Amino acid sequence: MEPLRQLAKEKLSGRKIFAVMSAKGGVGKSIFSAIFSLVLSEKEDVTLIDMDIHTMASSKLFGFEGKLHEVSKNGIEPFNIGRLNLISLSGVVKNNYVILPGGNQSSVMESLISFSNLKGNVVFDMPPGLGDELLVLEKLANNYSPLVVTTPSKVSIKVVKYLLDYIEKEKGKKNVSLVVNMAYFNCDDKIVKPFGSVNYDELKYEGYSFDKIVEIPIDPKIEDYIGRIQDYSGEIKEKIKNDFLK
Amino acid sequence: MHEWSVADAVIRTVINWAEENHVKEVTKVKLGIPSYSFLEVDILKEAFDMMKKDSVLDHAELEIVIKEPTFVCKNCGYEFSSNDVKDQLDTVRSEFGEEYPLHLMPALAPSFLKCPKCGSHDIIVKSQDITIDGIEVKESGTAETVS
Repeated sequence: MEPLRQLAKEKLSGRKIFAVMSAKGGVGKSIFSAIFSLVLSEKEDVTLIDMDIHTMASSKLFGFEGKLHEVSKNGIEPFNIGRLNLISLSGVVKNNYVILPGGNQSSVMESLISFSNLKGNVVFDMPPGLGDELLVLEKLANNYSPLVVTTPSKVSIKVVKYLLDYIEKEKGKKNVSLVVNMAYFNCDDKIVKPFGSVNYDELKYEGYSFDKIVEIPIDPKIEDYIGRIQDYSGEIKEKIKNDFLK
Repeated sequence: MHEWSVADAVIRTVINWAEENHVKEVTKVKLGIPSYSFLEVDILKEAFDMMKKDSVLDHAELEIVIKEPTFVCKNCGYEFSSNDVKDQLDTVRSEFGEEYPLHLMPALAPSFLKCPKCGSHDIIVKSQDITIDGIEVKESGTAETVS
């Protein structure tokens, strides 16, 4: 009998759960997760859980690197940014690297969820790939809404199809959103697509269907906000606010 | 403080189990915890007694068994105990204090402990999870459940 799994399931029950995911690394999941969560938290309590337990990028984005979570009778207390609550393994291990065999990864992810004091709806920043993290998510919260992140690059699209095949075709998910990150940038009011365009008709022809498709721009200014992403109010945030959550 | 979260996990799990198995009164819960998590037994029992009230566990006793895990290095095959890595555990505890990582998440062991023989992090820990190893109920004598 596994008490942690039971507690994690109960803690997630009744909450709306968004899983920001990709089969491909380096497509910008963490930055998207952070800004998406910030936008959501303008209206309601949100807990962002960084499930990428090896890179722990979220704490770096928000400036909590090296800081530890407090632990109360209610469990691991999240870092607070207004109504956004951040849970990261970095708040348990500080600046230490995390190297774990597969079974331990699942256990750490379950512990992170079960022992945290969750508030409001939950956004999971998932690690890349189709490993333990995906299986853990399905065990604990099968009703999650997938936000699948890719770039327009052909290799990224090809790799992301593995994930889409799994969650759409095998699991029958109908509420999949496709987030095409780094899709374009504004150059003197002219739209430039440095990584090319996604052929959405071809995706449709191949049987993929999406609840929503959102193209996110490149904003070089975002680099100035690493460590204080909560202060960012540029076009990526506007795009998510206007095209995604309206 | 983390002991309260563990007690919460145990209570919720047993309540659900009791509902599924139509059990009206649980008299004992046997809980196994890995030694290197350094969970405080007194605090855990206090939390359990406070949180169990008005439930199927109202009269239940919490029996805690400290499990001594065996570590096996996948790199060189060396088997060792937590005593063999006591200095490493002490270092982590002194760096982090009360809420040290292995207290909160025993599964983090391979990140913080190395094989004392070859230095590899590629180690397997047997008995690292917190487990409910047995539940005794009033109606039907003893019901044993193994994780």
